[in-house]
Amino acid sequence: MAILDIQGITKRFGGLTAVNNVSFSVEKGAILSVIGPNGAGKSTLFKLISSFLTPTSGRVNYNGHTITGLAPHEVARRGVVRTFQETTIFKEMTALQNVIVAHQLRCRATSLGIYFSSAAARADEERFHNSATEILDYLGLSTVKHMLARNLPHGHLRALGIAVAMAAEPKVLLLDEPFSGMNIEETDAAVKLVQGLRERGVTIVLVEHDMSAVMRISDKIVVLNFGTKIAEGTPTEVKCDEAVIGAYLGEADEEVGH
Amino acid sequence: MEQMLINGVVLAVNYALIALGITLIFSIMNILNFAHGQMFMIGGFVVYYLYGIFKVNYFVSLAAVVIVLGVIGWSFETFLFRRMRRMATREENSMLLAVGTALLLENLALSIFGEKQRGVPPVVTGVFRIGTAYLPAGRLLVMVLALALIVGLLLFVQYTKLGRAMRALAQDREVTHLMGVNVNRVAAYGFALGAALAGLAGGLLVTVFGVNSGVGNVYSIKAFIMIMIGGAGVVPGAILGAIALGFVEAIGYELLPGSITYLLIFTGLIIFLILRPQGLLGKPWG
Amino acid sequence: MGLEINQLTRHEGSGSSRIASENGRLSFRQKLRFAGFVLILFVAVPILLGRSPYYITVLTNAAILSFISLGVWITFSIGRMNLAQGAFALVGGYVVAILATRYGVSFWLCLPLSGLISAALGALIGWPVLRLKGVYFAMTTLSLTEAIRLLALNGGDVTKGATGIVNIPRPGAIGLFGLTIVPEFNGADPLPFYFLACALLVLGLVAVWRLSTSRLGWVFRSLRQNEDLATSIGINVAKYRVIAFGACCFMGGIGGAFFAAFHQNIYPATYTISDSVNFMLYCFLGGLSYIFGPVVGAFLLVIAFELLNAVQDYQALIYGILMIVCMLWLPNGILSLGTRHDGKQKYGGR
Repeated sequence: MAILDIQGITKRFGGLTAVNNVSFSVEKGAILSVIGPNGAGKSTLFKLISSFLTPTSGRVNYNGHTITGLAPHEVARRGVVRTFQETTIFKEMTALQNVIVAHQLRCRATSLGIYFSSAAARADEERFHNSATEILDYLGLSTVKHMLARNLPHGHLRALGIAVAMAAEPKVLLLDEPFSGMNIEETDAAVKLVQGLRERGVTIVLVEHDMSAVMRISDKIVVLNFGTKIAEGTPTEVKCDEAVIGAYLGEADEEVGH
Repeated sequence: MEQMLINGVVLAVNYALIALGITLIFSIMNILNFAHGQMFMIGGFVVYYLYGIFKVNYFVSLAAVVIVLGVIGWSFETFLFRRMRRMATREENSMLLAVGTALLLENLALSIFGEKQRGVPPVVTGVFRIGTAYLPAGRLLVMVLALALIVGLLLFVQYTKLGRAMRALAQDREVTHLMGVNVNRVAAYGFALGAALAGLAGGLLVTVFGVNSGVGNVYSIKAFIMIMIGGAGVVPGAILGAIALGFVEAIGYELLPGSITYLLIFTGLIIFLILRPQGLLGKPWG
Repeated sequence: MGLEINQLTRHEGSGSSRIASENGRLSFRQKLRFAGFVLILFVAVPILLGRSPYYITVLTNAAILSFISLGVWITFSIGRMNLAQGAFALVGGYVVAILATRYGVSFWLCLPLSGLISAALGALIGWPVLRLKGVYFAMTTLSLTEAIRLLALNGGDVTKGATGIVNIPRPGAIGLFGLTIVPEFNGADPLPFYFLACALLVLGLVAVWRLSTSRLGWVFRSLRQNEDLATSIGINVAKYRVIAFGACCFMGGIGGAFFAAFHQNIYPATYTISDSVNFMLYCFLGGLSYIFGPVVGAFLLVIAFELLNAVQDYQALIYGILMIVCMLWLPNGILSLGTRHDGKQKYGGR
């Protein structure tokens, strides 16, 4: 059953078409990667799916319901949570506080109850604290949970970004370049992490440049070039796809200066 | 009808000086010069004292305005804002400092100049008739001078080494620094220039409206309105904003009673900003 | 290693964490300090200065100005520089003025009404305007202060334009079952107004502290630090911004209502741009990371201004110089003296 269905998504900025009539679907519990040369429109696609941008045309369906046109925080509430390319985190909070704040969606107490510290509010706080600690442990951040986020080393920041997203109890997690800037060991650990997330029942869509990681981890791959989908399939299929090879070779050509 | 247009043009051209000054400072240093109105006011007072009281030649007085305000602007950047940039932990601090400089100049002016409204004798006498409208020679002079200054500024920014350095700085501080430009020096000159422009506008308009030490905030607000309309940090935006404000004021004061004009301006502005926050030509803010 | 960890980690509720804005629990020292503050306000000052109306009036002003600035502090906590508080103080003042003089409504009813009306107006205007950030928000709110002043000036019969509304009656007595709980405020004695001001201040401090330490406070913090991230985890950013702004305007309205009854008049010029700027300055001077910041800032500046009365002519000038000096040498505010000087905060979060 497709949990996420992208139907003909197009985004135009003035004269520039960033995403052109892209369609694909994501099976529940799958890991799908979106790849493509630089400027292919991958990040824009993510913003469109999570409603941070409104598409010029097309729809995104989640669990059979259209989420296009909903406010971005609404989409997150429904269960589609995105992470950010840069290490986006609440810098002035500790790691633990970051993850606790992210539990906002799971608040059972009312605003008034929160203010006056009702029993429900206090129960919430307890739950959040425990849940946050568990998430941090799972991601290997328990040693730094009282450290200010802006003092965390780069690798931990990545994990914290995922921890924050996890706290929002996503059904679909959109990971924006989760492996960028990582060396081989770090990437290995991150790959295992992402697979572990899938085991926890989260469907994962990721945008990535790191080919080997993508090949290892994905059930399905979608390839974009200049905003258009040029290939879709399993890693094996995509690896041999001529259009894909052309697109990447074309990019390599540019780099070499032909 | 023609009177409104004539008034609009005179206002627009002078307001453009003000708008360009604050835009310059904002684009180079990312600081909103809250003291811009106070600098305008000080320019007016310099002309009042030199030209009005001591009977110094008007143009020499204007030159003095440039020097006085140039020094003030240069000092603000060198001694205050540069220091703040080094130690600021929040970006609000620079804005706060700008507010502080406005307070400082305002209170300084109050102490030195007193509260009274001051005027100066007209530089040239006579009135021109254009259609059904009257254009006093004094206002025409002021308009021509403002126009000349604007053209001069645009040429300066476009063709001189310092001007180009300022434009580069406005685009990208890091890169400009890496190209070997003394960023601090250029910034200081930029502030001096922006301040001088405000002062010159004051020195010109004092011959039309007079000056008192309380007009600072009024003109700061005018400056803000103009860059909000046109877009902060862009020269064409400043000019557009000045034209818009100049004409709206002229038309408003002609057709509407008293302070309703500005009430409408503000209401319209707030609505406009809700729809287009970056102004007409501004870059989308982040 | 121990020292490094101190630099990097956060100690929960240890030592003199004046940033009470984070911990849900106050340390014993903090509670002691607050109790001391309340005691000074309600006991020491009346005893020591009760005979001199001048000082009592100065402190009354300081107390309510702190209260109003506390509202501005709330908008700072969501990452906006709010220069519109003067407008909402004006609205609050006019609500009292109009209702009390024209319809004989009791001050005690007008007071919360002022707050609510200001809050409602703030929510209405804030909903679209809060999308702006940084200098754009500052300029727009500054324009708002002017706009409301002009509205009052051109309010025809409702606001009586430039003549304003005068002879606003002082608060009457509150009685219950024939017993007088609050005596009528008469003109000769400034103490009732002083006590009311202090009561409002203390209530305000407790309310804002509670706001800041609750989940809401953390939501506000997330808004200030990264609105996009907050959105991505499902926080309705627009809604919470409006809540914060509404709370700010509520306090502005109540402060304005107080002053209207205190001075017994209100004019369009009662709150100008300078006032909006001052409220912001009080927050900055005290320290934006501290709930007590606006209180410290307001009290210090108000008292300093009065002390400078001796140098009448240069009062404003010295005041201006003092401001600049404070900004340059204490960029994090007065209450930050005692934390690390390297710019890094010892304790996390603002």
